[in-house]
Amino acid sequence: MGGRKTITPGGVVAIVISALVMLAVLAPLLWLFVSSFKSDKEVIAYPPTLLPQDWTLDQFEAVNHSLPIAKMFRNSLIFAGGVTVISLLLDSMAGYAFARLDFKHKKLWFAVVLLTMMVPFQILMTPLYIEEHYMGLLDTFVGLILPRATSAYGIYMMRSFFVRLPVSLEESGRLDGLSEFGIFRRIMLPQCLPALVALGVFHFMNNWNDLLYPLMLTSSTEMRTFSAGLAMLVGNKVIKFGPTLAATLISILPVLVLYMFGQRYFREGIASTGMKE
Amino acid sequence: MPALATVGGAAGAAGSARRRRPLSRRRHAWVFLAPSAVILAVFVFVPLVSSFVLSGLAIDVFMNDVSFAGLDNFRRLVGDQRVWGATLNTLYFAALAVPAQMVLALAMASMVSRNNRWCRLLRSVYYIPFVCSMTAISIVWSILLDPNMGALSYLTRQLGLGAIGFLKDPALAMPTVVAITTWKGFGYIVTLLSAAILNVPASLDEAAQLDGAGPIRRFVQITVPVIWPTIVFCVVTTTIVSLQVFDQVYIMTKGGPHGSTETLVAYIYNRGFQTAPYDLGYASSIAVYLFAIIAVITFVLRRFVLRRGEDEV
Repeated sequence: MGGRKTITPGGVVAIVISALVMLAVLAPLLWLFVSSFKSDKEVIAYPPTLLPQDWTLDQFEAVNHSLPIAKMFRNSLIFAGGVTVISLLLDSMAGYAFARLDFKHKKLWFAVVLLTMMVPFQILMTPLYIEEHYMGLLDTFVGLILPRATSAYGIYMMRSFFVRLPVSLEESGRLDGLSEFGIFRRIMLPQCLPALVALGVFHFMNNWNDLLYPLMLTSSTEMRTFSAGLAMLVGNKVIKFGPTLAATLISILPVLVLYMFGQRYFREGIASTGMKE
Repeated sequence: MPALATVGGAAGAAGSARRRRPLSRRRHAWVFLAPSAVILAVFVFVPLVSSFVLSGLAIDVFMNDVSFAGLDNFRRLVGDQRVWGATLNTLYFAALAVPAQMVLALAMASMVSRNNRWCRLLRSVYYIPFVCSMTAISIVWSILLDPNMGALSYLTRQLGLGAIGFLKDPALAMPTVVAITTWKGFGYIVTLLSAAILNVPASLDEAAQLDGAGPIRRFVQITVPVIWPTIVFCVVTTTIVSLQVFDQVYIMTKGGPHGSTETLVAYIYNRGFQTAPYDLGYASSIAVYLFAIIAVITFVLRRFVLRRGEDEV
């Protein structure tokens, strides 16, 4: 009785609706893509053209002159990449300690860590700014990366993976005479590779896309990330639509490419707790 | 607890290593924890505590003129028209955005929660806007909606509706921002809901089918109750994120027209970092006020609104 495969009228309706929604999701993004290849005249043509009459790379050349695109790309890469690499190391170390090592008041400390997950960023924002001002970290990469170098979410996620590993793994390392850190690095950490990739993708995406945080902590054009830079520059209306579109397309490409090749990891990252910063 | 149990069990089984291990493990634990502990202490706990202190101070962005303001900031907040406007706008946004995303996501999840190629494709496409930055999405939509040359305005004109200034009309601006937020975010919720739906035992559904229940009734009466905890989770997280809305408003409307889309976070940012005299103390007290709103709404949602049966929530 289980697998009735006949297509019901309701099923047809569902297919049609879900396909229409897919179209509605894709259309603006496809429009962004094709419009980035239009000429100046065509971008603002009215009535608008659907596809470029002749595909041109003009906008990508223009974007170099009108926006510090290379710098923004570099800044986002250093910021998001730096946060990802460092927090993977620190999150997994702390997660490992909570999962497999003994220390006093472990449960209490873990509860304290989880509590930090509940605090909205806005409440930390102003004090964080003042703190970085006194530490001389405003408008620097260190100032951008350090506050994000570990997170309750990451510690929680890594802990839940380390907890599941069998004790026999640790035992074998201990018999081989490895130090506690050696066991962590050589034996336990490699077991968590999928979790590490999922967490890394999560950190990279969130920081690459973040706006308020880098907007507040950077002030020079020199240090603006993609999101913050685009937000500032688009606002002042001196930049034409064409280069804006090209820059926007470039800004979403890295995460989009990551998503195309590693969808599974995007889903795993959110499936374990589903938190979004 | 399970971690402690396995450690204890292993020590019992491994004999001679028993006495040494807990000691060395204790000594090493701090090495593993220290970096994270320092960062969380310096960049989360200190700001958290000082946020409450700060809201009692008068301090500007250049760190001159620090003085104690007591409850002045909060008194000022109560009398600030823009705080009230921003509060209402924020609540309005959440009241529209949460149901919109949940209803759309539930409807779509009911259609695409199957393990075949087509449904998997749909789910991954729905998720695409979620991985793009809100900055990029906001730029794309504000150009599309431009009343003079946007492609959507062209469509509305063709349909005989004239050029609609979706983001320029005080009555339309917020619903438009909500629609774009929904477009960007629903795929994420679909992913979470689908994962839950795919775990619903097929036997439940089949039994209802034998009883002659149609697909919509089966979804409402069987699937929804079973995945209720996931729904609650989605509603609560979407609500929290919605009450903190900033990016889309900052880029698409700058809080306008006539303050009709200025949300609390936008106002906090504006007060502390955008408009002289960069009043950080006051900005901080608005943040504390927002925190209280989020806490109360989350509590009420979990405790009263989303209750169902005895055991959930």
